[in-house]
Amino acid sequence: MKQENIHNYLRSYFLANECPILQEKQGVLAVQLTVDLDKELMNRPFYWHYLEKTGGTPNPMTLTLVTNQDEEMVQGEFVHFGAPRLHQIFSSTKKLASFIRLYENIQPSSHQNAPLHPWLCLNIKISYQCDLKKDRFISLGLHLVSGAVVDDFHDQLSEKNLTPKIPDYTFTISPIIKPASGISRLEKIVEMLISKEDHSWSEEAKRRWAADQLLLDQFYEDNLEAESYAVEKEALRKQYEPVITAEVINGGIFYLSP
Amino acid sequence: MRMELTFNEEWKSDFLKHIEDDGPWTNWELFKLAIEAEKHTTVPSFTGLQAPAHLPHLTPHPYQLEAARRVVEEMNGKAILADEVGLGKTIEAGLIIKEYMIRGLVKKVLILVPASLVSQWAMELNQKFYIPAVVQRKSYVWDQYDVVVSSIDTAKREPHRSIVYEQDYDMVIIDEAHRLKNSRTKNYEFVQHLQKKFCLLLTATPVQNRLEEVFNLVSLLKPGHLGSFEHFEKDYKGKEKSIEDEERLRALIQKVMVRNRRQDTEMDWPERIVKTVPIHLNEEEASLYKAVEDLKRHPVGTRSQFSIITLLREICSSREAAYMTLKKMLEKEDVDENTESIVLNLLKKIESVPSNSKAEKTLEIIQSIEGKVIIFTEYRATQLFLQWFLQQHGISSVPFRGGFKRSKKDWMKELFRNHAKVLIATEAGGEGINLQFCQHIINYDLPWNPMRIEQRIGRIHRLGQEGDVHIYNFATKNTVEEHILSLLYEKIQLFESVIGQLDEILTRLGMRDIEKHISDILLHSESEGEIRIKMENIKELINYHKEESDETRKYS
Repeated sequence: MKQENIHNYLRSYFLANECPILQEKQGVLAVQLTVDLDKELMNRPFYWHYLEKTGGTPNPMTLTLVTNQDEEMVQGEFVHFGAPRLHQIFSSTKKLASFIRLYENIQPSSHQNAPLHPWLCLNIKISYQCDLKKDRFISLGLHLVSGAVVDDFHDQLSEKNLTPKIPDYTFTISPIIKPASGISRLEKIVEMLISKEDHSWSEEAKRRWAADQLLLDQFYEDNLEAESYAVEKEALRKQYEPVITAEVINGGIFYLSP
Repeated sequence: MRMELTFNEEWKSDFLKHIEDDGPWTNWELFKLAIEAEKHTTVPSFTGLQAPAHLPHLTPHPYQLEAARRVVEEMNGKAILADEVGLGKTIEAGLIIKEYMIRGLVKKVLILVPASLVSQWAMELNQKFYIPAVVQRKSYVWDQYDVVVSSIDTAKREPHRSIVYEQDYDMVIIDEAHRLKNSRTKNYEFVQHLQKKFCLLLTATPVQNRLEEVFNLVSLLKPGHLGSFEHFEKDYKGKEKSIEDEERLRALIQKVMVRNRRQDTEMDWPERIVKTVPIHLNEEEASLYKAVEDLKRHPVGTRSQFSIITLLREICSSREAAYMTLKKMLEKEDVDENTESIVLNLLKKIESVPSNSKAEKTLEIIQSIEGKVIIFTEYRATQLFLQWFLQQHGISSVPFRGGFKRSKKDWMKELFRNHAKVLIATEAGGEGINLQFCQHIINYDLPWNPMRIEQRIGRIHRLGQEGDVHIYNFATKNTVEEHILSLLYEKIQLFESVIGQLDEILTRLGMRDIEKHISDILLHSESEGEIRIKMENIKELINYHKEESDETRKYS
């Protein structure tokens, strides 16, 4: 992630959370935090607790973030890709942006009421883990009327003009598939997608595991009852056992024109 | 393979509740940002290092990156990091922890290091790697923090021990791991029972004396990798090792050990400038030395009461050191009259020693040097004496011992850096402090185990050292010290050559305990001539193997 991207990310994050920008120049961003965001980022629960008890006027902090290292004159926190602050903001974003409902902003011609179809969107991270780990990001859309499934759904949504309020002269079609069973359907789809992948990595991990287990057994030859044998054996399982997990990052309901 | 494909339940139920309550919903901008953040933190490949991109302020050396990559990709996260002292094993370890944390394979880490390095480790991990490591000071730290740095001595004691065993560590890191070479110690047993999913053992000297040491280390890391103890004994310990056995052992060790040497790193290291400083005993000191040496000719009954070699070495160091040993003998209950009179006679000789020739030479050198100086001695009594002696000449010094509390060590180091010219360390203080701001070492007395010398020099000849490193080796003429120096440090060219070889060579020779070997020669030889011939033999033997090992380098 380039420093410039980080700057833009931070800017969008604070704007999306309604924080006024106090100063901005290349590589420097000063923002006035809202009460909510101060609580979210600044880690001072005692202050907020005290304030609530005494009923004082809240005084949220300002935050100056620097993404250009050459800006030595500016007093602020240097933010780079490894900075704990950035990762705090990443996880804050994910926490604050878990659920959404939007409508496609269409202007039907000739004032005829136009239908909007319900879609369930899930953005999912799949992790493949043994002693090594990799991830795959997938974005799935499920048409809650027909049951059709679309891949790269998020990219498609990004092209559209979306709005939180239902636009004039449009109406929504009621879902036939309920959101709960929609989620189950997508779980099945994910399972199917994964089953088609190449799983040699997990076979290799199992081979490494078996090899180490064999050595361990030889080492404890006549002493398989030993406590440390059980500890080591469990450690090997944790080290090598191939596991695939899927985690929903966020998702929501989108009403789109057909 | 286990598949946990049910999506996170909490998200599901929350989502359904939002639908029921008709919100609240997030905004589209934030929703897109969350995906952007996710895409930036997703790691699409099993291989390759992510850590460097997260550490813009750190420029690791290529060999350090390669070490980290090998440990993760080829060694499955269990390795002995055995770079020579001062090459930055901590950096390699930091890179590896960081890599695993970024990939989400490691969350809880236990780092066990010598007491004197605890705060330094925590600081480096925080500052260089943005890893929130916490120094263990209170017992609640164990379960409330993810990355904890502690000394092994604290961790193994109750109430900590039980709490530590209850934690689910993803990674265990042990610095100065050669301290775990003996499998019969409490520390070894403690570490053996820790669950080690991923594990790094850091040591510059994986083998100090005996082949079992490397067996014990590897068995902590990966039990069975070198077979069971009985098989190992049978296969490798016999005198007649076949070349194939050697090769097999070497290959096995290579699989779990990363060992970089200075000369392999293709970097411009500061030079080591080694100087031997001969010391001439004054008349009284010489007479004292001779009196102890003569004890060798007493009947066994008397002779065995004395640790002659120890006394001789002490006399070369300071009369104070010898005095302490003799005094202890008198305090023993069962001391017989004959012994007592010998001891008293020796004490009288000690009293008549007017000055310390070595200390005077030390003073002369210190006064001729502009920068800071570290003096290493083996004896506590010498340490105290030197501190007093230098003080008399207006030179302030700071003592340093292994037994100091962690905070005191840090304090002493800062005192030395900011206020004192000289630091006087005993052997036990040799490891666990980094003093790259100093360029001069006086080896006031030489340890007989060459690996320990390397530990000493490594305190200052390490990453971050900008000047050349000056080493002064004191050797008292016509004494045991001269033999040691001439054998270990001149003829084998220990200082100039690459130390890494020596541990291999000694192991190959079966001279696993070189100290004892030399002691025996010195004690049981009839004449100076005999000593010299026997020492010459060792030298030849070692040099012969050294040449051989130059051709086929062992663990690298």
